[in-house]
Amino acid sequence: MKYLPTIGIECHVQLCTKTKLFSEVDNDAKDKEPNSCVSPVCYALPGMLPRLNGEAIKMAILAGRAMNCEINAHSRFDRKHYFYPDSPKGYQITQFYEPIIGEGFVELPSGTKVRIEHAHLEGDAGKLTHFDTYSLVDLNRVDTPLIEIVSMPDIHSAKDAHDYCKELWRLMCYAGVTNGDLYNGNMRFDVNISIAAEGAKELGTRAEVKNLNSFRSVERAVEYEIKRQSKLLDAGKKVVQETRGWNDAKGETTGQRSKEEAKDYRYMPEPDLPPINLSAEFIDEESAKLPLMPKDYREAFGGVIAEDILEILLDYPSLMQKLKEIDNKYVKSVSNLFASVLLAEEKSAEYLNDLPSAADLNELSSMNEKKELSSTATKEVFLRLFDPQMKGRGAKNIAKELGLIQENDLGALEKIVDTVLAKPETAKAQEDFKAGQEKVLGFLVGQVMKESHGKANPSVVQDILRKKLS
Amino acid sequence: MEIKREDILHLADLSEFALDEKETESLGGDLQEIIGYISQLDELDTSDIQPTYQVFEMENIWRDDEILPQDATREQLLALTKNEKDNQIKVPKVL
Repeated sequence: MKYLPTIGIECHVQLCTKTKLFSEVDNDAKDKEPNSCVSPVCYALPGMLPRLNGEAIKMAILAGRAMNCEINAHSRFDRKHYFYPDSPKGYQITQFYEPIIGEGFVELPSGTKVRIEHAHLEGDAGKLTHFDTYSLVDLNRVDTPLIEIVSMPDIHSAKDAHDYCKELWRLMCYAGVTNGDLYNGNMRFDVNISIAAEGAKELGTRAEVKNLNSFRSVERAVEYEIKRQSKLLDAGKKVVQETRGWNDAKGETTGQRSKEEAKDYRYMPEPDLPPINLSAEFIDEESAKLPLMPKDYREAFGGVIAEDILEILLDYPSLMQKLKEIDNKYVKSVSNLFASVLLAEEKSAEYLNDLPSAADLNELSSMNEKKELSSTATKEVFLRLFDPQMKGRGAKNIAKELGLIQENDLGALEKIVDTVLAKPETAKAQEDFKAGQEKVLGFLVGQVMKESHGKANPSVVQDILRKKLS
Repeated sequence: MEIKREDILHLADLSEFALDEKETESLGGDLQEIIGYISQLDELDTSDIQPTYQVFEMENIWRDDEILPQDATREQLLALTKNEKDNQIKVPKVL
């Protein structure tokens, strides 16, 4: 039987504020000692009061705008109760009834539109590490600001699920609201998947695969679930509504023992945090700070950079900004240089920490355009522009120092060609060429290149040789 | 609203409380009284009244995103826990 999958995705994005959502303690716990980034609020000491971080509100506005969402002027916080060692408060502060971000949509590179149901601000929980007979609790992550983005069930394939997560990651990185470090859990995905016979009016029973932290694992988990659920239905069995975990090494999902009936969070308004009431001016003012988004770059560079290359380069916001700064006519050649470095050298991250200046890139491209640099030499100088020792000197000086500038001066080149043709060892080749042997031209060009110490422009040399030997 | 034995057991389950028979009974009585007290509000017609989420009429209370020294050290905080290991709080195995 043929089934149509229906997929909705919840995504948690950790915001890159300096401090936590509800207290003035360091939010960047990366590489820090366990329980060293905690405040009495994180610890839920009696009498503690949460103090809302204004920056998180501003970031929520940017995140919402990046997803074409309405920003709700009025929003507020609720307590979601559950008892677990990762949450000393005994509840999570979240926005259940009135979230700050309303409806919107994310458009995938394929053109598929995935609607956003809403997105809300909430505090993260602590981290548990499980051992044989005990678990250890690190509260550094408690109250890290999160935006939870809830999509509508508009996704119908593993590929689109992958692309949606990746596009969300790009949008959040471009908006500058997260460090986007997936390896360290800056974005985590919960995927709801159901299948139903094609043409069926009602959706099937869904399973939720929780806590995926890469686009690839989202894609694989969806593929696995579609197969698993199809097998069940084909065999006349039913899909059980449940939470499943993903085992990346085995490439499969497994049911988690969970108390389904216990899903009773007893939400209540958070009495310690007054509601948020944003003026239209404030929302507009913050929205205006949204930088160019992937779609803006797709519009700007769509006809200039090949689509597959553009999609690769779009993973690097700082690179796209740089392309926007350089001369329009050089965008294509510079983007090709970046693509060849990123693809071939496999050094993407470190290369992109400190990009060459737009002036250097313009100068380099102009030298290549004027044929002062061969394409090989251009790439060589390009790589040196990332070298901390060299980069300050400028593209032209680097090219000169490396002796890479091609001789294009016709007069000078003709002199070199004459010297080479006067050498006895080239006499036979000259005769052979005149007798119609095309391939010896390569030998003669090589001799001229040698004479010029590699600086002659080979195509110009070829023209001169043809003229002189005709 | 009548508080049944199942309601108490459900709440205890949600709160990870192990209640003995006596406690289940006495808590049931207490809850019944509290609910009864609050139920007096049912006598009023509130259909046209907006819910009150807080009573101070404050809004937009937020702070700058600046790190401040904390009043409590990790050692003080960990001292409050029953068991610790490697600067973490040690709890019975969960999940």
